[in-house]
Amino acid sequence: MAEPRSPVSVAQNPSGVSLTETPVVEMDPVEYTLRKRLPRKLPKRRNDVYVNMKTDFKAQLSRCQKLLDSSTGPREICIHGLGLAINRAINIALQLQASSQGALQLAANTSTVELVDDLEPEDPDEAGEPLTRTRNNSAIHIKVFYPDPQ
Amino acid sequence: IPSSGTTHLDEPLSRPPVWTTLPPSSTLKPGRTGFKKVCTTGEASPCPFPGLGTGILEMRVKEGSKIRNLLGFAMARMQEQVKPDGQVGVTQVLFTGLDRAITKTITCAEIMKRQVQGLHQLSKLQYTTVREVWENKEDGRSRMTIHRTVPSICILLSKDPLDPTEPGYQHPADVRSVSDPRDIKGERVVCRKRTLSPCSQSKQPNAKKAHSAIH
Repeated sequence: MAEPRSPVSVAQNPSGVSLTETPVVEMDPVEYTLRKRLPRKLPKRRNDVYVNMKTDFKAQLSRCQKLLDSSTGPREICIHGLGLAINRAINIALQLQASSQGALQLAANTSTVELVDDLEPEDPDEAGEPLTRTRNNSAIHIKVFYPDPQ
Repeated sequence: IPSSGTTHLDEPLSRPPVWTTLPPSSTLKPGRTGFKKVCTTGEASPCPFPGLGTGILEMRVKEGSKIRNLLGFAMARMQEQVKPDGQVGVTQVLFTGLDRAITKTITCAEIMKRQVQGLHQLSKLQYTTVREVWENKEDGRSRMTIHRTVPSICILLSKDPLDPTEPGYQHPADVRSVSDPRDIKGERVVCRKRTLSPCSQSKQPNAKKAHSAIH
């Protein structure tokens, strides 16, 4: 049984969640299906890379490397990671820096992203209402760039 | 596998191992080499930070740390009133975390920024070597020293202004509503009737159809 307060990274698939705890609101012991909404769609520039846990690590790393090496455009990329992908984003950024023999610099910014879950009653005959649960998650944005020669 | 003496597994820094992406069944884990190992860790290199003030509080976030406890302590220190003898509370807090504790470290910093307005932030990422000593009590007290290179994060939150040109600097966030301090992760269940508008349908590509079966 999944706890309502478990971190985002644990369950990717919607699963039946029986909410019997009372954090703030009195809840009926009705079975709900948890459905995570996707985070807000952000505008994606050419050199934005969003990291996830589904794609192979090496593939994401080489994609970032190619973007940095491309002769056209600004020689900087921005790597974004949400939740569990924060670790992966940091790994990619540090690996890029290591393989550049220290030529690259990193600038990390952190933020909070609001995520919304939809809770739907399992049994349509049950008098449960579709509920909405909001939670916060951490995100990191790492700028990887060649510093301007002074 | 040597069963006595001290073994050093040094990783060259040019190709640091990516520990967080190794599968859980990796053979590189000392615990799986056949003997029961007890580990004690010691951090080899602390986190260097450019020009820190003296009134600074360092919070080391571990994987098992409770955010409530960490923030209870840190918030109390930051929000201390000026004492009668002129002593001020801390003006700067440094959150550090390694490896799996990085996300928790970021979360702590974010929550503190939300509860204390006007904090300047400086974040640094680097690889840190951690020295782990594993002991085997059964097999003649043999010991193994492992040097592990893991990613780490240091987040400095400061009431005093920091250098904005430093990479990793974030200016104080705009004033927003302060959430309930009991909501550590900000979870709220709202009884709000959700209308099944077309745009909400498109946001759930992986959701199973709820209205397919006929009961």
